[in-house]
Amino acid sequence: MSSASDLPILEFDQTCFSYAKNGSFIKDLTLSIGEGEFIGLLGANGSGKSTILKLGSGILKPASGELTLWGKPTHTYKNKDRAKLICYLPQTLDITVPFTVRELVSMGLYPYDIPPSMTAEEALEMVGLGDKAAAHLSDLSGGERRRTFIAMTLVQGAGLLLLDEPLANLDIRYQIELLRLLRRLREERNISVVMALHDINIAFQFEKIMLVKNGVLLAAGAPLEILTEELIRDAFGVEVTIIREGKRNAYISYEKCFSPSRNEI
Amino acid sequence: MKTRFFIIIFVPLVVFGSSLVLGPKIINPFGMDETSREILFSIRAPRSVVALLMGMALGASGAVLQGILRNPLADPYILGISSGASLSAAIGIVAGLTFLGAFTIPVLAFGGAIFTGSLVGVIGWKRGGLWPERLLLGGVGLSFLFSALLMLMLSVSSDEGLRRATLWIFGDLSMSDWSRIPYGLIFVLGGMLLSMVRAKALNALILGDEMAHSLGFTPHTERFVLFVSVGLMTSASVSLGGMIGFIGLLVPHMIRFFTGSDNRMLIPASAFMGGALLCAADLVSRSIMPPMELPAGVVTAIIGSPYFLYLLRRKNVLGL
Repeated sequence: MSSASDLPILEFDQTCFSYAKNGSFIKDLTLSIGEGEFIGLLGANGSGKSTILKLGSGILKPASGELTLWGKPTHTYKNKDRAKLICYLPQTLDITVPFTVRELVSMGLYPYDIPPSMTAEEALEMVGLGDKAAAHLSDLSGGERRRTFIAMTLVQGAGLLLLDEPLANLDIRYQIELLRLLRRLREERNISVVMALHDINIAFQFEKIMLVKNGVLLAAGAPLEILTEELIRDAFGVEVTIIREGKRNAYISYEKCFSPSRNEI
Repeated sequence: MKTRFFIIIFVPLVVFGSSLVLGPKIINPFGMDETSREILFSIRAPRSVVALLMGMALGASGAVLQGILRNPLADPYILGISSGASLSAAIGIVAGLTFLGAFTIPVLAFGGAIFTGSLVGVIGWKRGGLWPERLLLGGVGLSFLFSALLMLMLSVSSDEGLRRATLWIFGDLSMSDWSRIPYGLIFVLGGMLLSMVRAKALNALILGDEMAHSLGFTPHTERFVLFVSVGLMTSASVSLGGMIGFIGLLVPHMIRFFTGSDNRMLIPASAFMGGALLCAADLVSRSIMPPMELPAGVVTAIIGSPYFLYLLRRKNVLGL
């Protein structure tokens, strides 16, 4: 896998945000996403993963602190110009209208006055759905629907994808398929990906993760180096055992959580 | 695909033409006497134009509304605009108001419609924008309130305006004349144009506000503009000839089968087919047992529903 360059695409600098009038949800968040990086944003439910992605994409406005996209404050971009650089995909993609796959993918052209180089057909070919262009979205599997939206971002030409729990409703085969696709796109097209996730075992497959809790960045780096049992207890509130397989892989065991002495919970 | 577009342009033209020459008296357009000319230009033509405009407004605003409310069951009347218009018009009819001559009732209806539309907008407004669920529930709530007031008024009043008011509420094209058409035309075409230039944004809004944002749109602004376009079209339609069911709800679904769901095609196509359907329904309603007329809305539903149900069974109309 190609190594990430140091050029930051998206930077949070002491960014704060809150949903309610008082109190703050994201507190002094500072992080930076480099070109070509493939990052897992790991955290428990309600830890602030989605909020961080929505701030990054400009859907939510920070209460204070800086947010820069390619070196320029995010809010100074015109909507259409920003859309050519960055795309946020929400966790649920339920659509009440029977769009076809081609119709959806072609929406990636909307930020452009002059169509960019990639057509919907090429993008669908790239995500392995070349034969599904005329199908209705409702006829696709969950994994295929995800890939359709990825194809849309390819047409859109966004170099940074912020994906909110894209693996959440997929079974293991489709999870692997989607991860492989995204890694390939990163190799071939230098697309950077930040993906919110909560599955620690999947997180071990990333070269870089960022662990968040209550809107604060607990740790960032290679999962094999930074993920410890203590850190997982802190972030998720559970006692797990990390089982290491040589230097290149690890996974967690839940066995401790279900030991007889804990049945009183 | 070409055939489908051809159908969408061709059918409305044929229907409109037929509605001019057919009827209780069949007119030969190439050999008209004085009476025929009078019937054609003073009675049938304005009536067919009104039917076409109303149907266009309903078809187009149905398509737009199903998009902005993200609800396939939305129709232009769900926002309560028609109930507000009906109540206001019925008050005018029963009270015998004539301050603007023949324009009194249409103007009252239009005023009631715009007032109700704005009220729904106020109810649906929160934190700097319109929210689909609030709009929908606000509209339904107002709709019930105004319908109840209307029924209350009709049940306590006993004058001869009652029948006219009832007729009007169920869609009455028999009063059509040229005088109302320019105003109808402005609002219907204006609203349609407004929604068509924002059709891409509407497609994006259907994917949800976050996706719309990701594609470079400002969801609240776009929804507001589209809501205004629906308000204009629905208000104009109700003030032209009362309430006609079916078209706003089901024509867009039928059209999606022909053209797909892209609103750049769906809005104009729903408008044309909505206009054609109402024209055809009006032709049937005045021809089937003259001199009596059936309410056009009844005929629309009787013609349209079986076809819709057939499509639903046979094709993937709703994507279901």
